[in-house]
Amino acid sequence: MKAKQLLKLLAALFAITLVAAACGSDTVEEVTEEAAEVVDEAMAETELTFALVAPSASDDVAFTQSMVDSLGRLGIEPQITDGTFVVEEAAAAIRGYAEDGVNVIVVHGTQYGGSLAEIAPDFPETSFIWGTATDTQGLDNVFAYYPEADQGGYVNGLIAGNLADGATIGVVGPVEAGDAVAYIEGFALGAAAAGSDTSIVYTGSFSDVALATTTAQAHVDNGVAALTGTSQSAVGAASIASANDLPWFGTQSNTEPWASDLTVASQVYHWDVVLADMIEMIEGGTLGGEAMQITLENGGLVMEFNDGFELDADLKAAADEAIAGIIAGDIATK
Amino acid sequence: MEHTPLLSMHNITKTFPGVLANDDVSFDVRNGEVHTLLGENGAGKSTLMKILFGLYKPDSGEIRLRGEVASITSPTSAIEQRVGMVHQHFMLVPTLTVAENVALGLTSSRGFRTDLDVVSDRITEISEQYGLSVDPEIDVWKLSVGERQRVEIIKALYRDAELLVLDEPTAVLTPQEVADLFVILRQMTDAGTGIIFISHKLHEVLELSDRITVLRNGRVTGHTTPAETSRQQLADMMVGREVKLAPDKPHVDLGLARLRLRNLSVKGDRGTMAVVDADLDVHAGEIVGIAGVSGNGQRELAETVAGLRPAEAGSSVSIDDVDLTTATPARTRAAGLSYVPEERMKDGAVGEFQVSENLLLINHAEARFRRGPLFDFAKIRDHCQELVDQFSVKTPSLATPTSSLSGGNIQKLIMARELESKPSVILAAQPTRGVDIGAAEYIHSQLVEQRNEGVAILMISEDLDEILGLADRIAVMFEGRIVKVVDRENATKEELGLAMAGAEVDA
Amino acid sequence: MSEFFTISVLAATLGTAIRFAVPYLLAALGETIGQRSGVLNLGVDGTMLLGGFGAYYAVLKTDSHSLGILVGLGVGLLMGVVYAYVTVFLDAKQGISGIGIYLFGLGFSDLLFQELVGTPLPIRPLPTLDKLPVVGGLFEPLVEIEVIGPLLFDHNLLTYLAFLLVPAVTWLLMKTTFGMNVRAVGENPQAADSLGVSVAKTRFIAILMGSTLAGVAGATLSMQLAIFQHNLTNGIGFIAVALVYFGAWRPRWVMAGALLYGLVTATRIRWQSLGIIPQGASDVAAMAPAIITILALVLLASRVRGPAALTKPFSRH
Repeated sequence: MKAKQLLKLLAALFAITLVAAACGSDTVEEVTEEAAEVVDEAMAETELTFALVAPSASDDVAFTQSMVDSLGRLGIEPQITDGTFVVEEAAAAIRGYAEDGVNVIVVHGTQYGGSLAEIAPDFPETSFIWGTATDTQGLDNVFAYYPEADQGGYVNGLIAGNLADGATIGVVGPVEAGDAVAYIEGFALGAAAAGSDTSIVYTGSFSDVALATTTAQAHVDNGVAALTGTSQSAVGAASIASANDLPWFGTQSNTEPWASDLTVASQVYHWDVVLADMIEMIEGGTLGGEAMQITLENGGLVMEFNDGFELDADLKAAADEAIAGIIAGDIATK
Repeated sequence: MEHTPLLSMHNITKTFPGVLANDDVSFDVRNGEVHTLLGENGAGKSTLMKILFGLYKPDSGEIRLRGEVASITSPTSAIEQRVGMVHQHFMLVPTLTVAENVALGLTSSRGFRTDLDVVSDRITEISEQYGLSVDPEIDVWKLSVGERQRVEIIKALYRDAELLVLDEPTAVLTPQEVADLFVILRQMTDAGTGIIFISHKLHEVLELSDRITVLRNGRVTGHTTPAETSRQQLADMMVGREVKLAPDKPHVDLGLARLRLRNLSVKGDRGTMAVVDADLDVHAGEIVGIAGVSGNGQRELAETVAGLRPAEAGSSVSIDDVDLTTATPARTRAAGLSYVPEERMKDGAVGEFQVSENLLLINHAEARFRRGPLFDFAKIRDHCQELVDQFSVKTPSLATPTSSLSGGNIQKLIMARELESKPSVILAAQPTRGVDIGAAEYIHSQLVEQRNEGVAILMISEDLDEILGLADRIAVMFEGRIVKVVDRENATKEELGLAMAGAEVDA
Repeated sequence: MSEFFTISVLAATLGTAIRFAVPYLLAALGETIGQRSGVLNLGVDGTMLLGGFGAYYAVLKTDSHSLGILVGLGVGLLMGVVYAYVTVFLDAKQGISGIGIYLFGLGFSDLLFQELVGTPLPIRPLPTLDKLPVVGGLFEPLVEIEVIGPLLFDHNLLTYLAFLLVPAVTWLLMKTTFGMNVRAVGENPQAADSLGVSVAKTRFIAILMGSTLAGVAGATLSMQLAIFQHNLTNGIGFIAVALVYFGAWRPRWVMAGALLYGLVTATRIRWQSLGIIPQGASDVAAMAPAIITILALVLLASRVRGPAALTKPFSRH
């Protein structure tokens, strides 16, 4: 009898934990007042319902958070399923939201494309916003979005190259795909323009912090003068930068929380620029069929400089010049 | 005082729901004697021993050790009172050394650290005293079965056992190992140890015992000594009626050769030759017995005949002139072979299956058990009940899991299934090993009956008494070869024993 | 390629390998003790996560690494009590119970992290674990030795502890009565029981030891990284279980496996950073540690059989 009671207790404990964990991660970041003001009239009146399916945590200071923040700036509080690194779980969530009649489902992860191609045709009335992806797989109820991450990468690389003064810069990449590759290749070009080499290592995982940390440490052992990295595992690399007093460059979200004194600049994804366009089209009856890029030019990519890092005024000016050059099309970042 | 027995169990009675396992059993063991407990499975021997080791509490009766009333509550407390046990299934840890196995559970003289050198020295002393040669440093898995048994005995002696129980100790030993064991046991009794010997092998009991107590259905049916009794009398006391140790065999005219083996060569599990150039015919109406110490190719020969093991090129196996050299088990059966395998729980029956399922293991697809595509369970039940009755398989029901039956009843079940198909050839490997005398008698009579009806029977047995009692011709295997074939009338035990040991090879 | 085979790069690679191997080694050594007693604990990863979070949070709040280790140890012990109770006394199936422990650790560590911390915060401006004064001071003259100095004498205390545990666990298993009992109940519990060895007690203690080491392994991980986040271990605990199998339940082989895994990982990172592995082949390279380690251990240690009673609950009847 005692044994059974204990088992029941354990089972209950497990259940509570799981439910609590689920609730914990569902809590949407509170929308800042500032962002709320940005919301234009049309958006405020939207009758559409939204859901977001994303691989990492909503507050990962990286990929997923960039989308949560962007939706927040549009005044949208979607239902969220996050932490779905497992594609099958994400697919189930996407289908579930569609069956529940959610109007717009943001499918935030390149890796969900295969599932989306199966699910989207079953729900022609639902609009799916999928990224990062450069095309819609020919589905007319799917919008695709993509960051021209090489642009901010170039700017970061240029600053890093100047700071490094000819020394090598360490790059910690996740999986060699998508916007990570774009960012890193742009970064390498920018660094080269400033006369610095880059040493690039892809860990093979978006989430393996231990490996990202080890990789960054290996870079430091090799004598790199600055570090950058992308994906949520980059927190490990940022901590190594901060432990070794090396300049750090962020991307996707503003990574100041990871390395507050040493973050020089972050390329921040403002998806809201293209999301607003998409939502407008959806309200007009067009549920998809178009791929949109965020760029420095359309304001979807924003370079945020850290006030806490004393960046030389000349260097800041050179960075601003590069941004202008990229927007004008005078500088190639690919 | 010198007549106070080492152990005496007085008027022990133990009942389980519906079963009277021990009914007013009394017996005693003196220092320096071997006292045999003889009885069929279920006669109450193991219940009595479990009571001795504190695993069961008797309903009534008392146990005295060295004249004092003893309270034994667990195997550990038995050890403390210098009562040891050598289990039929060894209680050894194969990956530990001999010394570690002996030291297990004992307090080390070095506290937390082991004192295996001290233990090894003591083991060597004991070994020398009783002729139990074994290396204390060696891992137990490297030892032969006989050596492992010695480790078990050393474990008991190391704990100063004055009374040692040996449960079926010879079941797994070769004849030479049995002889060695008996020498050791004699040395122990000479040193004053009392031994309880549990066995059902009658000639061993007669050879080793000082006194014999026979149990049947939980009750003592007789106290005797080897000088006062005989194999036949012991068998009768065990079974409770007159037993035929060797069945009557009427003369039968030999028919044609039904099973033919020509130049049969077979590889064993390790890739070496296990059977070499075996030639043998088994005719309708005869039983050919293959004698030999186990491990001389008998198992591989049987498996090849049954279609379970491939033969080498140039070999030939045929039944009634149908070539079966490369046949599957199904084709072999279709050609008329019935196979009673050596490992009855591994190859002969599925332990978790019900009795009825095992009875139908081979022929369940036949039309007579079906109604359309479905089983006709009423017919199946009738058929199985008939077999169970005919072969007197003792089972609570047809739905009983087969593994819960006794060895003899499982063997009868397999015989029932195998004979039901009206075979032309029966291959029976160790048909009565580990089986009660009563069941063995029945199995033997069934085999003889089949022979009388013109079936050709090839019987493999390590039990020379069984071969001599049943076979019409005897073939001896040694190192994979058939080294001798002799008619029963011309065979002597001594001659066969020599051939089994390889004497014919040199001649 | 040539720039890899310079003494300083090789030494640095070895240094990375050693540091990387420590959490794997600690967890796998613990699991070795448990498995030798016949109990498989698939929950190692979960225990590491909870121990890792506990240690991280303790250090974040108190700046004390010692407290971090103590918390990791305590968490491991507690998880061990739960697992041991369920598997030894309730005879629960070990496979699924271990997965339960894993899921609990995974979910609960994330919940605590979300509630108490929120976002991955590097522990700063604390000195990182590498500069723990006790070791730095002790070995300072030795660290100056060229190449070998930093390689052998510039690690944190936990690294030395982990490698000292290898002979210690071997000694425990092979030279003590407790170790003998552990091996016996993992192989033939009936035999051990018949000689008065308590199977339940032996297994209980072995599980506690294993789980405690898993907790310490998690603490080591999060303190070495100076970070915690959701699923920080990323499967280290499962690789540790695999190392025990492929290391044939021998601490030396398990250590060899952990080091090899670390070495291959460190080498491929180094090769990538030196451009020896071309861009585009990174995903293939990422599989190399697991594949090479498993192949090597299978070839070297496969002949050894595991504890016969592994995953089998014991009862007298």
